[in-house]
Amino acid sequence: MYYLGLDLGSLSCDAVLIDADANIMATSVVPTGAKNREAIARAQREVLELSGVAETDVAATVSTGYGRERVEKKIATVTEITCHGRGMEAMLPGTRVLIDIGGQDSKAIFLDGKGRVLDFAMNDKCAAGTGRFLEAMARALQVDIEELANLDQGAVSNLTLSSMCTVFAESEVVSLIAEGKEVNEIVAGLNRSIASRTLSMVRRVCPDLTGMALAMSGGVAHNQGVVRALSAALGVPVQVPEKPDTVGALGAALIARDRNGK
Amino acid sequence: MMYDYFNNLVTGIESTLVAHPEKKSHRKAYALEIARLGRRLYTEDERIAWCGVLAPFDVLNAMSVTSCFVEFVGAMLASTGMVPDFLQEAETRGFAPDTCGYHRAVMGATYKDLMPKPDFCIATSAPCAGGMGVMENIARHFNKKLYVLNIPQEATEESVRYLADQYQEMTDFVTQHTGRPLDREKLREAVTLSNEATAIMEEAYRLAQHVPSPANGKDLANFGVVMALLLGTPAAVEVARAYRDAFAARIERGEAGVPGEKVRLLWIQNRVQFKNEILDLLETENQAAIVCDELNAITWDPIDPDDPFPGIARRAISIPLNGTVKRRVKNLQKMALEHKIHGAVNPCHWGCRQGTGARGMVAEGLKQVGVPVLNLEVDCVDTRNYAPGQIRTRLEAFIEMLTA
Ligand code: SF4
Repeated sequence: MYYLGLDLGSLSCDAVLIDADANIMATSVVPTGAKNREAIARAQREVLELSGVAETDVAATVSTGYGRERVEKKIATVTEITCHGRGMEAMLPGTRVLIDIGGQDSKAIFLDGKGRVLDFAMNDKCAAGTGRFLEAMARALQVDIEELANLDQGAVSNLTLSSMCTVFAESEVVSLIAEGKEVNEIVAGLNRSIASRTLSMVRRVCPDLTGMALAMSGGVAHNQGVVRALSAALGVPVQVPEKPDTVGALGAALIARDRNGK
Repeated sequence: MMYDYFNNLVTGIESTLVAHPEKKSHRKAYALEIARLGRRLYTEDERIAWCGVLAPFDVLNAMSVTSCFVEFVGAMLASTGMVPDFLQEAETRGFAPDTCGYHRAVMGATYKDLMPKPDFCIATSAPCAGGMGVMENIARHFNKKLYVLNIPQEATEESVRYLADQYQEMTDFVTQHTGRPLDREKLREAVTLSNEATAIMEEAYRLAQHVPSPANGKDLANFGVVMALLLGTPAAVEVARAYRDAFAARIERGEAGVPGEKVRLLWIQNRVQFKNEILDLLETENQAAIVCDELNAITWDPIDPDDPFPGIARRAISIPLNGTVKRRVKNLQKMALEHKIHGAVNPCHWGCRQGTGARGMVAEGLKQVGVPVLNLEVDCVDTRNYAPGQIRTRLEAFIEMLTA
């Protein structure tokens, strides 16, 4: 028997299929786009095709993410906070502080070292410092979002962005370009501003990071520049699992397996 | 328009209760008294006083003044879904959108002529300076006199005396505007009724501590704050009694306020006043019952009817939103332990120093007694700032955390 976890986020829809022993059979990450249902169907189809598992062999599905209610044939919906905790424990066991930066929100989750959530903090009603923020900045810099990840390399100045509002920061970036500032300096500044915003959330859930294992999930974790800036700001290395955008879906699949009684 | 609204509400509830006496309930008794107060506020020949939250409403009731704290109007506009226009009006006139929504709504209502004209105003320096500013604006707008009650932070002998003296002076101020001197016997009766009502409310809250609790989030919403307006009248005793009896009867029948209660929650400070899905999500979907509200707490002792002003002063000084956060936290810890609370929800109402400024210390203090706190970060009045999806995720994740 197999278990499916679906994470419908604002930017991507992620699916993870596991078997009865919690081995990952397949993962899929597709853009959410305007049509949620199509993204869900595609992510689901992809994991089934990749693993060669028939739909009828999926014993249970759990959905998570902001669009979790929209998934059909689920046995439960579970929030991304619980799912990320569970998924990260499977990927990087012993993680105590989990930073999840997704498309439109960011979270700091304090775990008990066994995947259980002890406390969490979320960004307030503002997409500053999230995937959408980075998308807007990539647009302003006229680069691909993937390219952003390493564009901070070689930056030496301590340039900071004064605005965290996505709209204002975008025009600030445009002005910095016009002033002739180097792209790597601007990108490093952007990463630092995301890090400083995330830092306060992390400290709120875990004031003392001594001896704590930190990890990051969500699409933004692909951006090594942000991870570097976060590690520097927190003074502790931040680990990133192999497929950080599938952490929530994996957690959902594991919960589906638990709840279905293995 | 507002008179008709409240009048229809009053006659609607009254006729339902005549036609179907079996529908009598504590919540209806409460709603009826609020509607009656609303109607009085919009009745031509009443003596009206707009007040700050900590005005001594029993004294004002004893002096036959229909009085109300202005924030009541903000809550009412939010609950009827009419609030955005009024907020917009206040913002157009220059009030910053990140100030307290209750106050913006009240100012909007004032400018849009929705507030009944007061005969005079009584401001209170606690719980917030914003409230004082609003009272000054209202008094100026209506060209009416304003009396300011300075509420000290701690209940020392001197500060109690200081506030008690102000009450005496306030009654002279009221007399100047109504022509009615303070009748000591009436005040005595009013204070006796206040004592009776608060004693019964305490009994009701004690019953709410039962596991499972006979109370739920709807029962307790805004209860203590609004009851303050009825103090000194038989209505307060009647409503308090209806609550106590309803809770006692539920316990007797083995009924819970939230059937299948799994989680017990403490609500910190204000409720979200506009229509929202929070209670359904918590109580119906997840059996997470709100069994006590910070602002319902009775933090004072019975008041001496023969010398009431010192006792009334102690009451005002004792409320959780006055004085140091330390004292507030102590009260929250006590409530959490007495009610066997699993978790607390703090809306952290935007623009409120009590709501946002104290949130770290509140969370830390409750953590010390093993109670995690969820900070919602909502504007309890401004519907335009509400993101239901975000709120749902936070609440669900919190319950998942508490039940894991
Ligand atoms: S919510 Fe805060 S700012 Fe608003 S009236 Fe109450 S105490 Fe004052």
